Amino acid sequence: MRRKGFSRREVLAGLGAVGAAAVVPGCSGGGGGKSSVLQVWGGVPAASGPQAVVEAFEKKFPQYKVNYTRFVNDERGNLKLDTALQGGLDIDVYFTYAQANLALRAGSGLAADLTERVRADPDLQVFLDTDQPRAYLDNGRVKALATAREPFFVLFNEKLRQQAGVELPQSWTIEDYRATAKRLTTHSTIGAYTIPDLARIALGPNYWYDGDKSNFGNPHFEQGFRLGREMIAEGSVFPWSEVLSRHLNAYQQNSFLKAEFHLWSTAPFNLRYLYDAKKYPHDFKVSFAPPPTVDGNDWNGGAYSNFVMVNPKSPKADAAWEFVKFWLTEGSAPMLKGGKLPTLGNVTDDQVITGMLGKEPDKFFDVDSFNKVVLTKEQKLATDTRLTGFPEISLAYNQQRDLCWLGEKDPAPAIDEVRRLADAAIARNERSSE
Amino acid sequence: MTTATVAAAPAVRAERAPGIKPRGWIGFLFIAPNLLGVLAFTLIPLVSVIALAFTDWNLVSGVGGITFTGLDNFVAIARDPGFWNAVGLTLLYVGVSVPLTVVLGLALGIALNRPLPGRSILRAIFFLPYIVNVVAIGMTWLMLMNPKAGLVNQVLEVFGIQPGWFASSNWALPALIVMAVWGGVGYCSLIYLSALQDAPKQLYEAADIDGAGAWAKFRTITWPSLLPTTVFLLVTLIIGASQGFGLIALITSGGPGDSTTTISYYMYQTGFQFYRFGYASAIGLVTFAGVLALTLLTWRAQRGRALND
Repeated sequence: MRRKGFSRREVLAGLGAVGAAAVVPGCSGGGGGKSSVLQVWGGVPAASGPQAVVEAFEKKFPQYKVNYTRFVNDERGNLKLDTALQGGLDIDVYFTYAQANLALRAGSGLAADLTERVRADPDLQVFLDTDQPRAYLDNGRVKALATAREPFFVLFNEKLRQQAGVELPQSWTIEDYRATAKRLTTHSTIGAYTIPDLARIALGPNYWYDGDKSNFGNPHFEQGFRLGREMIAEGSVFPWSEVLSRHLNAYQQNSFLKAEFHLWSTAPFNLRYLYDAKKYPHDFKVSFAPPPTVDGNDWNGGAYSNFVMVNPKSPKADAAWEFVKFWLTEGSAPMLKGGKLPTLGNVTDDQVITGMLGKEPDKFFDVDSFNKVVLTKEQKLATDTRLTGFPEISLAYNQQRDLCWLGEKDPAPAIDEVRRLADAAIARNERSSE
Repeated sequence: MTTATVAAAPAVRAERAPGIKPRGWIGFLFIAPNLLGVLAFTLIPLVSVIALAFTDWNLVSGVGGITFTGLDNFVAIARDPGFWNAVGLTLLYVGVSVPLTVVLGLALGIALNRPLPGRSILRAIFFLPYIVNVVAIGMTWLMLMNPKAGLVNQVLEVFGIQPGWFASSNWALPALIVMAVWGGVGYCSLIYLSALQDAPKQLYEAADIDGAGAWAKFRTITWPSLLPTTVFLLVTLIIGASQGFGLIALITSGGPGDSTTTISYYMYQTGFQFYRFGYASAIGLVTFAGVLALTLLTWRAQRGRALND
C-alpha cells in the first residue's frame, strides 16, 4: 500500500536538492537584476584612486550611489567584462585599456554614442580634436573618452648614474641612448632593460598601417629589431633569454629596484613601485629623462589611454554620463595615485607631484627632472585610431621580435615575416567587416 | 518540471512492477544539480561549438552578430599554415611524451612492485606530481630550467650542454615534454602497479618450474596481462596530451615564436585573443575528429595484438 506523506529524511533530501539546483545557476554571480546603484567596472584597484573618485562623486551628488568593480586587465579579465556586457549584466560605465578591445567593443554595439553629449559640453571640446585624438571614434561618432595621458620617459638610477659620471640627458638621440647604456653597463648592472619603440618615435600614431596594407616595410621597424639585437649582443641591454625565462616583462620593476639594470623606459603607472619603501625597498633616487629621438623625430612612445565607455543598454544613461564627466573633470585628481595623469590636465603641479611621487617625493625622486620631463615638456602623444587586426599583428610582432632578440632569426627576415602576417591579418579583417 | 512528473505518476503506476515505489522524482531531485551542471557546462557548450563552427562570430557582437558561413571555416583551416604548424607540434608532443610516459611508468611500476624498503613512501612520492597544482609545477620547472641560474643547466654543464629551455624555440617543446613525462609517470606506475598485482601467480610459478628467465617471463606473462591497462593508459594519455594547455599558457604562451603553439593553444589564441569564435570552434571540431581517429587507431592496434596473443 502506498504510504501517505514523506519521511523527514525525504523532505530534507528534497529541500537540499532543490537548494543545490537553485545555487548552481547562481554561481555565475554578479546579480543579473538591474539595481538603482550605478555600476562601474574598471581595471585599476579601487584603493589606487577609483574609490576616492567614487566617494567624491557620491558626496557631490548624494542622489547617486556608485559601486566600483575591479576586473583584472588581462585576457581573462577582459573576456569576463565582454561576456558580462553581452550577457546583459548590470554595468553602466566601464573602462577599456587595450586598443584591440576598444575597436571590438565600439564596433559591436557595446559603447553608447557620446558625440552629442561631448559637443554640448564646452569643457570637453578637446575630445573632438582629431589631430591628437583623445577619444575613440567609430564611423565619426565618439564612443570612448581617454581619461589619462601616459607619456613615456626614461628613468635613471641616480646612484649608479652619479657613480658612472653620466650627465642626465635633457634631450638625446637613440644613438646617445645606446652609448649611455653601454657606459652604464658594469660587471653587476646591465645598461638598459630594453630599447624604446624606435618606429613609434619616428612614425607616430597608426604606425603599423599604410593604406590597406601594413607598414612594416618602413625601415624603422627593422632598425628597431637590429638595434635591440646588437645591444643585447654587446651586453648593454638585458639578455632576452632572461626576459623570457624569468617572465620579466611583467616584473620589470623588481629588477630595476634590485639594480639589475639601469635605464628603464617606462610610463607613469610604474612610479608607484618607486615611492613605497616598505613594499619595494631600495636605496637610490630616480631621475627622469625624455625618450630619445629617432632620426630627428620626437613622437613620445606614450598615448592617451584608459578609455571610459558607457553601456548603451544602461537604463541610467544620464547618471552614467554625470559620473563620466566627473571622472574626467573635477574628480580626476585621486587617479594620480595610480599613475594616471588626467587627460584634461585639470590638476595643479603640486597635486601631480604628491599624487604620483608619493608623500616624500624628494626622498625617492629627482623632482626637478620630473618637472622638466613630465610637467613642463609638451609631449607628442600618439594615440592609435586604426586598429584593424590589431591582436593578430601584435602577436606576430612579439613572436618575431622574440626570435630576433634571442639570436635565432636575423632582423630582416623577422620583420618580413611580421609584414606577411600583418598584411594577411589586415586583409582578412577588412574582408570580414565588409 | 517537478509538478509534471508528479502529475504523470498515476498513469505510470499501473504498469510498474509490484514492489517498486513511485519515488523516481526524488531521485531526479538528487541528481538535478549534477544534471544541470552537465547541461550548462557540457551539453550546451558542445552543441554551441558544433553550431558555431559554421559561423563567423566575435562574441562581443552578441547573438545578432552571428553570420552563417557554411564550410568556409573548414576551407580556411585547410589553408592555414598556423593550424598545420600547431598540428605538427601537437603530434610531436603527443608522439614523444605519451610513449615515454608509458615506458617509464611501466618500468617504475615493475620496480615498485618488488619488496623494496620504504615502498609505500616511494609510491606516494612518485604519484605526487600528478596531484600537485599545475601552477606550482610550472613555476618550479621554470626556476629549475632557467638557462643561466637553473639547477638543470648547472648539472648539464658537467656534460658541456647548456639548453636554452623556455628561451629557445628548439628547446621549449622538449622542456614541456620533460615536464609532461615527469607529471605522468607516477600516475602510469600506479595503474601498472595495480595491474601487476592482478597478474596470474600460477603462470609465474609454472614459468619458474620451466626455468624461464626474467625477460621470458615479462614477454610471455607480464606484458600480455598488462595489455588492457596499456591500451587504457595510451588512450587517456593521448587524449590528455592532445588537449595540453595549462603549462603552455602558464610558461611559454606558445613561444618563443610559435614553437610551442600546440593545437589547444592555437585554438585558445584564435578564440580568446583574436575573438574569432567561429573559426576556433571549427578548429575544435577538427581536433576532436583527429583525436578520436588517433584514439581509435591505438585502440584497434592494441586490441588486435591482444587477440593475437
